[in-house]
Amino acid sequence: MPGPIDYTKLRIIPDFDTREWWEATRQHKYLVRQCNRCGHKWFPPTFPACGKCASMDIGWFETAGKGVLYSYVVVVQPIIGAFVSAVPYVVAIIELDDCREEDGTVTRVAGVLTNDESEVAIGLPCEVLYEATNDPKIVVPRWRICGSAPNTWKFEE
Amino acid sequence: MGALTDKYCIVGVGETPHMRPSNRTTLSMACEAVSKALADAGLKPSDVDGMTSYQAGDSTTSAAVATSLGMRLNYSLDILGGGSSTEALVAHAIGLIEAGYAKTIVCFRSMNGRSGRRMGGQVPGGPIPIANAEGDNQFNMSWGWTTPAQRFGMSAMRYLRDTGCTTDAFGEIAIAHRLHASLNPKAIHRTPITMEDHHRSRWVVKPFRLLDCCQETDVAAAIVITSREQAYDLRQPPVFIMGGYARTMTDNPQWNYSRREIHYVAGNYGWKRAFGMAGISHSDVDFISCYDAFTFTTLIQLEANGFCGRGEAGEFVKGGRLQIDHELPSNLSGGHLSEGYTHGIQMVIENVRQLRHRADDACPRWAEGIHTYDRKAGCRQLRKARICCGMAWGYENMASCLILRGIAA
Repeated sequence: MPGPIDYTKLRIIPDFDTREWWEATRQHKYLVRQCNRCGHKWFPPTFPACGKCASMDIGWFETAGKGVLYSYVVVVQPIIGAFVSAVPYVVAIIELDDCREEDGTVTRVAGVLTNDESEVAIGLPCEVLYEATNDPKIVVPRWRICGSAPNTWKFEE
Repeated sequence: MGALTDKYCIVGVGETPHMRPSNRTTLSMACEAVSKALADAGLKPSDVDGMTSYQAGDSTTSAAVATSLGMRLNYSLDILGGGSSTEALVAHAIGLIEAGYAKTIVCFRSMNGRSGRRMGGQVPGGPIPIANAEGDNQFNMSWGWTTPAQRFGMSAMRYLRDTGCTTDAFGEIAIAHRLHASLNPKAIHRTPITMEDHHRSRWVVKPFRLLDCCQETDVAAAIVITSREQAYDLRQPPVFIMGGYARTMTDNPQWNYSRREIHYVAGNYGWKRAFGMAGISHSDVDFISCYDAFTFTTLIQLEANGFCGRGEAGEFVKGGRLQIDHELPSNLSGGHLSEGYTHGIQMVIENVRQLRHRADDACPRWAEGIHTYDRKAGCRQLRKARICCGMAWGYENMASCLILRGIAA
């Protein structure tokens, strides 16, 4: 297991475009942005317009917080003080199961896994969980492997 | 061919040493680099009436350099940008000169990239004690995913999975660029390495080892661009700008990781423009440069720019193909991996020197274009260096390219 993340060394500062997203994670809901005109979904929510139809009439889609691991890295040398005690830790890109669009577009999100690197492989199913921080207003989503799958791929050193 | 192909030239190049640390201001270093580039061209400061630079909020300005050197500029601009900016500012200079805004333009990058602002976000002494995750950083720093190595590693990992390539392909690039650095007196790492050294190198962020990562340094470098009519009478053999593309983007340029294939990088969208403008094909290229912030960035640009097929770069680089005296020598100064880190401008500088046939190596008469071609004696000049393709990387979603032609032997 990766060590703990020291959130006292990380100040997460929500802004106009992201406040509602952090408010949702505080309530253990995982949101992605959604276009009210064409239905396109995207992440991260820092982008204030729809990348498909350019509409700025946008809202949110509450995902089930489940997906498939698309890629990952294993951070061995820490750069952010908050993560010094966590190394080695795995950051993953996850394709959300309920954010697949008709043209093949799929919304991907990023996050830190709670799993040890030995358990991680591309293609495995993942689910979100929520981690409290010292700041009562901020809850950070994390991800964990939640099953097995055929044809997974693992980095061989 | 492009309407302006071969009409503009790079006529001067210069740089400070790669330092760790410089103990100097970026203004002091920029003045040295600009002065050296002008001297190299045989120009006085008053002969130059345009200046541009790129930076990341970490450097001095064109106005400060011009003031210091007593230059009166008709055009000046400092842009925000890192890798892929030099080639874009060359394209920019061509447009400005063509339109009459200036007649000769110097472009520089000056950075205390090791002792000052480091691109990975490290601070002197180690990890950032207290970090603010604001703006875009809310959605990467909050999960400890900030540095270029960590970001590009995500594309590299998926590339390994999708293609069957192994990290030995990364090793091939580290070995080739280090070999070239061993022939470059300016390079900070000059001891050749082997695949075993690459295997033993410590992990930074898997799939990248230390030897897959560039050498951050304090340095300034500059190049001078003018019309060919001006270039003919200057000090050096002119190097002609044949074509390129400039900070070309993919779709979804700010969030690479939702794109269908995260390793289908920007070069794929640009190379036909560059080769079409230059009026050449890949087989006309004698050597390349390829932005090597990491070994992987070189690897992926080879296929993005059509030097090999999709997913074939790992096979393509095997057997030392990128080494001097092999099929497609790459980064002959040693590049970011072994010479030092300049955000790409050093690649253009080395390419110009090779095309002039005046690589500043151990040959006593290199400045006259006389070389031994004896690698054991420290010669790094290619025998045949007529056309070069320089490929540059900002990140997965942004790339530039500059195809150059020389007329020296």
